This record gives sequence, structure tokens and C-alpha cells, in this order.
Amino acid sequence: MSRLLIWTLLLLTLSAPATGAVLPSAEEIQRLGARMYREGILPDGQAMKAFVSNDVAVDGTAFTCVSCHLRSGLGSVEGEVVTPPTNGRILYQERKPYIKGKEFVPSVANYAKYLPVRPAYTDETLATLISAGVDPTGRSVLSVMPRYELEDRDMAILIAYLKTLSDRPSPGVGKQEIRFATVIVEGSDPVAVESMVTPLQFSVDRKNSLAKAAGVNERVARMGYNMLGDLHGYTFTLTRWILKGDPATWRAQLEEYDRKEPAFALLGGISPGTWEPVHRFCEERGIPDLFPVVDDPVLSDTDWYTHYLSRGVRQEGEAAARYLHGMVELIRDRAIVQVIRDGRRGRALADGFRTVWAETGHTPAVDIVLPAGEPLTAEALRQAVAGHKPAVLILWDDAGLINPLGELMADPSRPGMIVASATWLGSAATTVPEALRAPLFLTWPYRLPQDDKRYDIAARKVLAGKRPDKYDQVILRQSYITQDVLGRALMMMRGEFYRDFLLDTIGMMEDMYYPLYERVSFGPGQRYASKGCYIVQLGKGENPQFEKRSEWVIQ
Amino acid sequence: MRITLVRLLTLLLVPYLVASTAPAEELGRYERSVERYAIPDVVLTNQNGDKVRLKSLLESGQPVAVDFIYATCTTICPILSAGYAHLQRKLGSESSKVHLVSITIDPENDTPPILKDYLAKYQARPGWDFLTGSRRDIDRVMTAFNAYFRDKMDHKPLTFIRMPKDGSWVRLYGLMNGIDFVEEYRQAGNL
Ligand code: HEC
Repeated sequence: MSRLLIWTLLLLTLSAPATGAVLPSAEEIQRLGARMYREGILPDGQAMKAFVSNDVAVDGTAFTCVSCHLRSGLGSVEGEVVTPPTNGRILYQERKPYIKGKEFVPSVANYAKYLPVRPAYTDETLATLISAGVDPTGRSVLSVMPRYELEDRDMAILIAYLKTLSDRPSPGVGKQEIRFATVIVEGSDPVAVESMVTPLQFSVDRKNSLAKAAGVNERVARMGYNMLGDLHGYTFTLTRWILKGDPATWRAQLEEYDRKEPAFALLGGISPGTWEPVHRFCEERGIPDLFPVVDDPVLSDTDWYTHYLSRGVRQEGEAAARYLHGMVELIRDRAIVQVIRDGRRGRALADGFRTVWAETGHTPAVDIVLPAGEPLTAEALRQAVAGHKPAVLILWDDAGLINPLGELMADPSRPGMIVASATWLGSAATTVPEALRAPLFLTWPYRLPQDDKRYDIAARKVLAGKRPDKYDQVILRQSYITQDVLGRALMMMRGEFYRDFLLDTIGMMEDMYYPLYERVSFGPGQRYASKGCYIVQLGKGENPQFEKRSEWVIQ
Repeated sequence: MRITLVRLLTLLLVPYLVASTAPAEELGRYERSVERYAIPDVVLTNQNGDKVRLKSLLESGQPVAVDFIYATCTTICPILSAGYAHLQRKLGSESSKVHLVSITIDPENDTPPILKDYLAKYQARPGWDFLTGSRRDIDRVMTAFNAYFRDKMDHKPLTFIRMPKDGSWVRLYGLMNGIDFVEEYRQAGNL
């Protein structure tokens, strides 16, 4: 399209401001507005049309408002590119000059110094900005901001929707207080529960002592403000939401807690079984849920509100499949047998393997399911192997597999390679006899224990002097991550304590090097922080260490 | 009392400190230079899960463009990718003669199925490949192009076009207008 034509189009839109259009109901505005804002689809079902970089036509289905201004509408920062907020509350306020040195809260300064002044928008000037890219000062804004071709009514719906973004304070946020809750499912191991809660409580207490100190000491208050902005004066609370009985009844219990003492976000959380009802509740209510301690997270490409530390035990099965995919020459067209202990854990591991193995284009493994509770015998293994002569035997079971597997090693038809889960073997992994160590490959979704030692001091800080041996070291470290991610995110939020913005902000965080996982990473819409899992083998000698046989993330 | 409080505060706040970022470039304008790069001999994986040798892919004799993006990136990548899609459309039937390569800087998240979905969103035609690989190999590639980002959040808009006549690369820094990108590509590739 020629520039002349574009200018003609722009003039046409300019002369027809989006006023006077009859607006649908508030719910319809939410539905239709969100569709334009998040999916780039017009109310009539067509893709939104726009031009970027002056003359490049794009469909809303490639990217739309949310890709740059994020879900909360409070904007994004990436490298040197700052995308300003596009929520009504901020748009309809004048943007004052940024005075260097006056605003010294880093999170605010880093962002505000990029943005030019402008008067408050009106519905008319906002429509002009969205359709023609001209702001109320007459400035033609960067060509990175697309120019949208919208009918008057669609424009009016979009603007009405922008006015609802990050508009009313999020539940759980008071004038000087932010309330959090942690969900504990009855029946969880008490040591696990304390290991999950202690780091969170430490972080809350630490924040409150700062707020208290700032309240009585001017100097502390000033320092606190310079670093944390408005956050420095807030106190935090953490309550326990205990869920009892049948998971089908959790929904009602959660609703009751939420009604009585709404929380800005759920932190951690723990369940010995399913997490699904909590996940669904958070999704429907728009409540962030940061890093519950669960083995079997809900997997979804589109769900927004629950962040998990990883894809759970399934990630070990996936890693095993990627690792074997890298050695296809060894396997060729020979079979793989997957022995699966029936139950949540075995099924998740097997499913992770199955999915990735299929994705990488292989014939499915032969699955043999062991009934829950029935001990694994050498005879059962011999039978599994005899029929299929597999190149690889995968055993998703607990430490009960070590002895029968040892016996199988004497068998001439034993497979050359065996895969199992080191987390499921637990501390018994070190008792694997030497003869079994050469063919045995284990999945290990954490940093190697010997390398993680250097994080001991950091992880112990959150115990505030309590004895570390009273805690579950993995869960302690997981909760350490939760409280640190939360602290950093709140600090980057410029005092805008909106639930969606909390998640947007975490999405803009850099890769982090924490205790436990080799690396955790984030990104808009990414919901599983640790993406890695090593394949390891046991070294020689009495107390063997794990030795890496793969990268952290296997491609 | 005072000293203890200040010490306490520093302890409390140190993890919260953030580094300040560099001043913004003016967008729409871009910097151009001609460079020589030694492409590392690494094997990456494309959107179909196929292994590709980067050196052979880039040094095929066809004009080829390279950019560094990732699937969940905000403002920068949508613009770079819209530029690629625009170039393919503009060149029409000639588009099979040009090779567009995007390399993810977030290999841990960007698996082949994610790369494939991303290309589909931009209605990419054949000739636009999106590559992932091990973090170490991706780092080597970024370094070779003098485009190493310590973290994906330090990402900068860079596009490279290889000139088949002598193997040198045009390095373009900035978010360009569509027309400028097409022009740069035509010039470099003698189209
Ligand atoms: C590719 C990224 C991108 C997309 C997609 C995008 N924007 Fe923007 N938007 C920007 C950037 C960057 C700016 C800042 C431009 C400037 O000030 O020069 C901006 C500016 C704005 C402003 C002006 C803010 C101010 O304070 O003056 C509004 C309003 C806005 N966008 C609304 C929208 C809406 C509504 C959509 C979707 C229909 C959208 N944007 C899609 C990147 C984007």
C-alpha cells in the first residue's frame, strides 16, 4: 500500500472520531475488548488489521496489544525498548516531565525516563492515537506502535475495555498492606508443610520489620523509599488456607476463604495429590498462584495464573525421551520397553516420555503397567525383556527396582541400557550395586548435589537460625525461590499492585541462578520456570556421586 | 542503633537493587555497517525438528538474512518478524530465492513445536527457518555475530544480511521501516 493511500486513510479516520457509538453491556465490553486486546480478533470474528513500521501490514492474529503492552496494560520493558502503559487510568492523566534525580526509585526511573510528556487523553485523542499514531501533542509516535484500522463501534469497545484494565485495586491490596495466602491440603507431610511455609514467613517478617523501622526512623524511611518506592511502607500478611476432604469440595472452601480474607496472590502451596481444583479456581478468579509444591502440575499453553517451578515429574520422562532421541543410532529399530508403576507418579513419568518420543517421530515404546502395591520381581523383568529384546528398558518405579534389576543383569538377554528416575529412587540411589551402574541412566531434575552445596548458605538464610536438618531440603529451596521471585517482582512494579501486572512483571525477569535448579527462566506466558533435567550416572565407590551425561536442557 | 539499622537495611535491600539500563535509541532510524563474521560450525534444530548445519545453511550462495528473536518476546520480535513476513510478501514469487533465518535466544523455552507455531502466526512461507539449539551453541552464534546478549531481557533489534558476492554481512541495528528492510535486502542480494 502506498504512503499516500495510508495518509488518506488516516485522514478519514481522523475525521470520524469514535464518539456516539452505542456501547454494548459491560460484560460484552470485557468479552469483545479482551478478544481484540489479547487475540487480535474483531467483534465480527475477523482479524484486526494494522500497519507497523510505516508500511508493513499485520494481522492481529500475528500480534496484538497484549504482545507489547502486556495483559495488565501496564506496559513492558525489554532492552532499550519501553512500551508505555495503555490502561485508561494512566492514559487519562497528564504525563509530567521526568526530572532526573527527583524520581530516584530505580524501578520507576528506569522506565519513566524514556517516556515523553503529553497531556491527558480524551476518547477522541485516544482514538486518533490508536488509528493514526498521533498523540495529543501532535507527535507521530514511534512506528513500532501499530496503526489500527477500526470501525467506530469497535474502537469505542476497545477504548472502553482499556478503561477497565488495571483500574480498580486488586483484592488483597490495602492502603499500606498486601495480603497473601498459602494453600495447604490436609494430609500433606508436616515436615514438607513447614519447609514450604518457613521461607515465605521469613520473607514476610523481614518485609514487616523494614516497614516498622521505616515508621519510626526517618532515615530508614528515606533509604527504604529510595530503593523500594511506595512498597517500603507496606506490611505483608500470610495466612494458611487449609483444604480438607474430597477435592470436589475444595472449590467451595476456596471461595469461602477468598470471600472472608481475599489474598492478592497465593504463594507456594502444597498438596500430596492433585492441584487441579486450586489451579482452576485461580484461573477463573484471576488470582496469581506462585510455585505450588506439587509433582504433577496442570499443563496448559494458555492458562495464565499459576506459575509452576517445573513441569513436575513428567519433565524427567520428557528428558529421558530427548536423551534417547540423541542416541538413535544405538537404538535403531529395536524396541524400548517402558515398565510403569501404576499411580500418579508413574503415569506422569511415562506420559512425559511417550509424548516427547512421539513428537520426535519414533514408534511408541511397549508399555507394561505394574499394579500399585505389587512388588517388582526379577521374573517380571525377565518376561518383559524376553518378549521384546529391547535396546532400552525404562523402569518408572521406586527403590524396589534395585534388587530385581540386579538379578536381571545376570541374564544374557539383558538390555544394554536402563533408565529410571533418581528422584523416585531417593537416597537409595547410592546403594545401587557397582555392576548395575554402567548400564543405569537416571533422570535428575536439579543441579547436582555436589554443585548445589555452594547455595547452602543462601538457602539457610530463610531459616532465620532454625536447624536445617529439620526441613525437607528440596522444598526449602523451592520456597526460597518463591519468596525471592516475589520480592524482586514487587520491587519492579512501580507501586502498581495489580494481579495481572505481578505476572507480567515476573514474565519480564531475567534468568535466575537459585539454589536447587541449574537455572530458572521466565517470559510473558511462560509458566514452568525450570526447563531442565540432567541424565546422570552413578560414579564409583562407596558413596557414589552423580555424574552428568547430558546438558541441563536436552535438545 | 543507627549503624545497626543501616546495616540491617542494606541486608534487606541488596537483593532488590536493579541495574539501570542504557538510554533509548531513537526508533525508526537504524545504524548500518558492513562486517565479516566467522560462522561457527554448529548444528542447530529447525521448526520441524530437523538438524541443520548452520554454516552450510548460511553460506549457501543465496542471499540470506539472520535475526535473533524468541517466541515470548515483547515489542522487538513482533516488529522484526513482521518485517520478515512483509519481505516474503513483497518478493512474491521471488520469495523462494531468499532465505530468512531466525535464531532463538531463548532455546530453553523455544522447542521445535513452539517455533513452528510462531512461524504459523506470521503466516511464514517456505524459506523462513526458525532455529533452536543448545545454549552453548546459541551463545557461540550470538558471539560470532557480535550480538551476544547476556540475558534475553537485554535483547536488541539486530538484523544481518549476507551478501553472496563476497560473503560479507550488512549489520542493521534498530527497528526499521518495512520499505528500508526490503531495500537493504534487495541491494545486498542483488535482487
Ligand atoms: C508491536 C508493539 C505494540 C503493539 C502490538 C501495540 N502497541 Fe501501543 N505502543 C507501542 C509503543 C512502543 C508505544 C510508544 C510509542 C511512542 O510513544 O512513541 C505505544 C503507544 C501506545 C499508546 C500511547 C500511550 C501514551 O502514553 O501516549 C496507546 C494508547 C497504545 N499504544 C495502545 C495500543 C493498543 C490499544 C494496541 C492494540 C490495539 C496497541 N497499542 C498495540 C507498542 C505497541
